[in-house]
Amino acid sequence: MEMLLMGACLSMFGLAVMCLAFGAATRDEKPADAAGLEKPMDTVKVAAPERFFVEGPLPVPVHARVPIEALLLQLENHVRLEQAAAESYMRAPNAALLHSRTMSTLVN
Amino acid sequence: MVQTDLLNGLAGEDGDRVLALGRRILLASGAELFHLGDEAECIYVIAQGRLRLTLPMQVRGQEQNVLVEERVPGQTVGWSALIPPYRFTLTATAPLETEVVALPREALRKHFAAYPEAGYVVSLNLASVIGERLQLFQAMWVREVQRMVEMRSA
Repeated sequence: MEMLLMGACLSMFGLAVMCLAFGAATRDEKPADAAGLEKPMDTVKVAAPERFFVEGPLPVPVHARVPIEALLLQLENHVRLEQAAAESYMRAPNAALLHSRTMSTLVN
Repeated sequence: MVQTDLLNGLAGEDGDRVLALGRRILLASGAELFHLGDEAECIYVIAQGRLRLTLPMQVRGQEQNVLVEERVPGQTVGWSALIPPYRFTLTATAPLETEVVALPREALRKHFAAYPEAGYVVSLNLASVIGERLQLFQAMWVREVQRMVEMRSA
């Protein structure tokens, strides 16, 4: 009988510890402004990009390495291709032609 | 006589009378015909060569004139001269030796007051040129927005 009561007590104690641990793990952070402190964390915008699993400096985008003259030529080429695409859409207006893929190196 | 979209549908002598209001301008390669923001007194019909219409854009922190359109012989540029506030909204440059006919707004207005039929035809042509360009740029704009949407949802 004593053994049974002791087992029940230990079980209840274990259950209480688990409940406390679970409550602590799942409890929401109380807003700091409720205590008259700073703004809550979730309203602060993170300016820096996420860099998980990236070692060393971020890779430089392809367009940033291109000389400015080449970039301007790419822009011109892009405008000409887009104009040609828009003109072919105007000859036979339909959704497929409107959103046809471009070969422009500026966006591919 | 210069064949131009502006005078489509006008009889030969009527078209000649309109073109006679203008003066021919020869642009050397690289010369600027008009600059963004300048007062627009004339519209221009391209007789020979080519014109690049550009808008300023910031590219790597520098202002660059980026091509928006190219116009070829027979086409009209500078219709800001007919639309208030009469200021050019683009810069026009000749990439090669180019000849244009400059038609002053005031001379056109007086001529069309005297020849209303010609004024009507030219107005329709102008509306057609402006309408086509509006549709063209609408399509180009929607294509860019579509790409932006795809990038954001990727």
